Amino acid sequence: MVIRRLLIYLRPHSKALSVALVVLFLATFADVVGPILVKIFLDRHLMPRSFDFTDLLLLGSGYLGLHLLSVGLNYYQLVSFNQIALKVIQQLRVDVFSHVQRLALVVFDKTPAGALVSRITNDTEAIKELFVGVLATIVQNVVFLIGIFIAMFSLDVRLATFCLVLLPILLGLMYTYRRLSTKVYRTMRKELSFLNAKLNESIQGMNIVQAMRQEERFRKEFNVINMAYYRAAISNIRLESLFVRPAVDLIYTFALVLVLDFFGFQSLNGPIQIGVLYAFINYLDRFFEPVNMMMQRLSQIQQSLVAAERVFEILDDDRTVPMPVSAALAPSIVKGQIEFKEVSFSYDGSSDGGSDVLKKVSFIAYPGQTVALVGHTGSGKSTVANLLMRFYPVTSGEILIDGTPLSEFSEDELRGRVGLVAQDPFLFAGDITKNIALSRSNVSKKDVEDAASFVQANEFLRKLPQGLAEPLGERGGTLSSGQRQLLCFARTMAGKPKILVLDEATASVDTETEEAIQTALEKMRKGRTTIAIAHRLSTIQDADLILVLHNGMIVERGTHTELLVNEGLYQKMFMMQQGTGV
Amino acid sequence: MLLFKELMWFFKQEKKSYGMGIFFLIGVALINLFPPYVVRVIVDGVSQENLNQGVLIKWSLLLIGAGLTAYGLRYIWRLLIFGASSRLGRLLRKQLFDHFTRLSPQFYQKHRTGDLMAHATNDIQAIEMTAGMGVLTFVDSVTTGSLVVFSMSFFISWKLTLITLLPMPFMAWATSSYGTMLHKRFHKAQAAFSELNDKVLENISGVRVVKAFGREETEKEAFRTLSADVVEKNIAVAKVDALFDPTIQLIIGISFFLAIAFGAKDVVDGRLSFGQLTQFTIYLGQFIWPMLAFGWLFNILERGRASYDRVSALLKVKQEIREQEGAMDRVPSGQVAYEKASFAYPGTQRLIFKTMYVEVIQGQTLGIVGKTGSGKTTFFRLLLREFDLSEGDIRIGGISIYNLRLGALRKAIGYVPQDHFLFSTTIAENIAFGKPEATLEEIQAVANIAAIHEDILQFPDKYGTLVGDRGVTLSGGQKQRISIARALLLQPEILILDDSLSAVDAKTEKAILKALKEKRAQKTTLISSHRLSAIEHADLIVVLQDGQITERGSHAELMAIEGWYASTYRSQQLESLIEEGGA
Repeated sequence: MVIRRLLIYLRPHSKALSVALVVLFLATFADVVGPILVKIFLDRHLMPRSFDFTDLLLLGSGYLGLHLLSVGLNYYQLVSFNQIALKVIQQLRVDVFSHVQRLALVVFDKTPAGALVSRITNDTEAIKELFVGVLATIVQNVVFLIGIFIAMFSLDVRLATFCLVLLPILLGLMYTYRRLSTKVYRTMRKELSFLNAKLNESIQGMNIVQAMRQEERFRKEFNVINMAYYRAAISNIRLESLFVRPAVDLIYTFALVLVLDFFGFQSLNGPIQIGVLYAFINYLDRFFEPVNMMMQRLSQIQQSLVAAERVFEILDDDRTVPMPVSAALAPSIVKGQIEFKEVSFSYDGSSDGGSDVLKKVSFIAYPGQTVALVGHTGSGKSTVANLLMRFYPVTSGEILIDGTPLSEFSEDELRGRVGLVAQDPFLFAGDITKNIALSRSNVSKKDVEDAASFVQANEFLRKLPQGLAEPLGERGGTLSSGQRQLLCFARTMAGKPKILVLDEATASVDTETEEAIQTALEKMRKGRTTIAIAHRLSTIQDADLILVLHNGMIVERGTHTELLVNEGLYQKMFMMQQGTGV
Repeated sequence: MLLFKELMWFFKQEKKSYGMGIFFLIGVALINLFPPYVVRVIVDGVSQENLNQGVLIKWSLLLIGAGLTAYGLRYIWRLLIFGASSRLGRLLRKQLFDHFTRLSPQFYQKHRTGDLMAHATNDIQAIEMTAGMGVLTFVDSVTTGSLVVFSMSFFISWKLTLITLLPMPFMAWATSSYGTMLHKRFHKAQAAFSELNDKVLENISGVRVVKAFGREETEKEAFRTLSADVVEKNIAVAKVDALFDPTIQLIIGISFFLAIAFGAKDVVDGRLSFGQLTQFTIYLGQFIWPMLAFGWLFNILERGRASYDRVSALLKVKQEIREQEGAMDRVPSGQVAYEKASFAYPGTQRLIFKTMYVEVIQGQTLGIVGKTGSGKTTFFRLLLREFDLSEGDIRIGGISIYNLRLGALRKAIGYVPQDHFLFSTTIAENIAFGKPEATLEEIQAVANIAAIHEDILQFPDKYGTLVGDRGVTLSGGQKQRISIARALLLQPEILILDDSLSAVDAKTEKAILKALKEKRAQKTTLISSHRLSAIEHADLIVVLQDGQITERGSHAELMAIEGWYASTYRSQQLESLIEEGGA
């Protein structure tokens, strides 16, 4: 099943593959003909002592010519097989990566980043081994073996038929080895993973181990696992020694006896062609190296297939972002009015209400207004932003923009009109311009400059040696968090959004950029419908509507002054922040 | 080759395995010279038409006998040499692990777990490879190579040998220069691959931004470009890599051609029999492997060398925390006193503590508060001797902790760290971590004090439930409480709770603190906390700031001062009110 799916990836390369195969056949043919030419020389010239110069020249140059041809063709086919395999893996990688881009955010919440990265890069790399190492090696060697047999048959049908006996013996050997080795190999992998787990855990918990004086116990426990791994390794060595090289070498000896006796006994009854004997011995010599090579690749197959399974698992994950319901209508966002109608949400999608993080939340943000959401950690305020960004589907209720359900907007329209500033300022590798423009077609170089000055980023940009062209190190590590946040502001503003979603945009502030950030936020909100999730209440005092969330419900609503008069949760939060001077 | 010298201690230790293994290996190389000789006898017999049934059967049986003997010897030497190399791996892993258990947290701060893991697995594997495959390749290529050349030149014709081996140096030269080329290109391919890896990691960590701005297509395009680059660099590798086999094929073909051409002339001139020529070509075939193996050997040795250096460097790391000579093996008890204690982390200038004095009377509770980074955790790590003071002294019951054996000191202390680390075993075993022989009753008793008993009963296998990936996923609060139970089981003279109640709700916190007070009446407890409610009841509270104690006293005294403690206390009161929903 997995193999078939992998083979489908070869289809676009069928032409290149056919060419490579044909070249492989030719190269093998040219290669196996060599001993036959030697045989002709031995039987027609050396034995009868008849040395015709032109004949010899022809034979000699024929031998060398064919040999050179074979060498050249072999190089070509080796490179071709590699190229095909690499391109197949590239396609597979692009497919997995593209699929991951389509996956819903739930998947990213639940899967550790490292695991996803490893699927896309390392596991596909392991599959490459399957294509390059295993498939190519096996195809090449099988073709070579077939070539040898054809040559043998053309020399002596009877002996070649005898030699066919070798095939079931070798196949039997391979089969037995593979069966036994999968088991032994699996035990070895298992013990190795125990060993690694123990090591990992011990290193991480070493302070506890030492504080509780359990070093001796851990040394003993590690020793037990170390011993078990050693024993597994020894049985693997034993198995390999029994079945791989030594066994193949033994079979070679038997085959040699067969060939020698065949000719020997035949010669007792009458003269034979000595050249044929020579050629057979020569073929036998070369017959067994491919067998050894194939046997060594066998254990790799299993590993690659496991990797392939994991990759296909991701490709088959159907938790993708839902496509807009009616793309034909293509509604657009003009005014920027937002309405939440009894919106409930739970991460597991169940509607029994038990695990809801939002419970029947309703509010309207009129065009140009700022609606602020406040509440303590876990009150559900960030969920409102996530739902408006269509990162998760609502469990019940409805979100409307300009009166149209959120689900009906195209991805382009929604992403183009609704600008998010996330809590953690994330920057990509590359220069500042690239980070602000994000290669959007509707963002010109001038837009980038305008956006940067609009959000008050100019002051610090001027201090950078290359200004907007300054390359950013790992995730913008050379900038302060406030500076990074300003760049994220610029990025959002460069897209000229109708609606702004600020998810704790003031969380990453430092003293140097505080003022710039405050000014920028005020300017940004002007003329745009804004949903602001605030940690610091001082930043949203002028909001048109403040919603106080607690346990997923709106418990208070009103303007700053109204809420203060109310003497409820908001007033306490405000007092607390004033009091400690945060 | 130098590596072999450095591994000599091990070769000596495994004298028998290596000695016998190499002996049998040479035996096999000798036996390998026999089949070509048999071929020569038979071929000569056939061509001179003086063969008979008896001769044929005799040689066949001899050949089969030789084959079977070689099989047996091959099996034995593999077991001996590869077995020994596996033992080297086992030994190094053991040494490394033992060493790890003796190194202090300072070491673990400097080295990442992933790196240490890599040394203990990949590097040791590479060393194993040297001691197994490396030794085999070296011995085999030297013996087979020289035996074959010896047989070809002494038993057949040294002139013919010289002629046919002429192209061989070219092969050695070509493969080694391919090797250098491959090395360079391979590095580029690796670099391209790690760039691809970085891109994917960036994309996945920034998934919210990618989705919010609808940048999926751009990301795909960038990925496509990078993966195309990976392909390109790898094809460059393949182009060199694919040179090896055809080059070898070319050289061998030419050698064979020379052997047949010049050999035929010798046969015509009567200097050689035809059987000898056949024998010669088979030997020639046998010579290929040693030539190849030698190039390969340098590869193995190079890798093994780098790995061995890394592992030896690790094994040479000294223990930073050492016991003084004549340290007492007595479990301390009594008043805990920090006297003129000053401390800066090794290799840094900033003083975490400046000549600090603190005294805790036996049986009392000390509360330590302060902002993040004010040194609360460091305060405890000094007592545990995870680090040593730069100046001053810490005494327990009047005895300096530096005059005690580490084991004795740690026996007096029950430590609940901030990052509650549990092991992937059962809950019972986690609680009994410091006292594996504890009975279930003892375990349940401390679980009760830590207010985790009820939670545990809810799990599928109760106390036998596995923790971690293969079992239940515990909440932060549950992990903290199990850590507390783990420390309590040791009935320590001094209990340290390093912000260990942060993920526990207020009600449970109260219950735990109350139970602790009852059960540990005569014993000392040190608590640090972010939430002041956890230390409110302490006999003495100290506020740490910039390496100094800025406020000290009981709760009532500190509230009266109206300093940092009082204002933080009030704001936290308000905060908990808000979390409960206000009114």
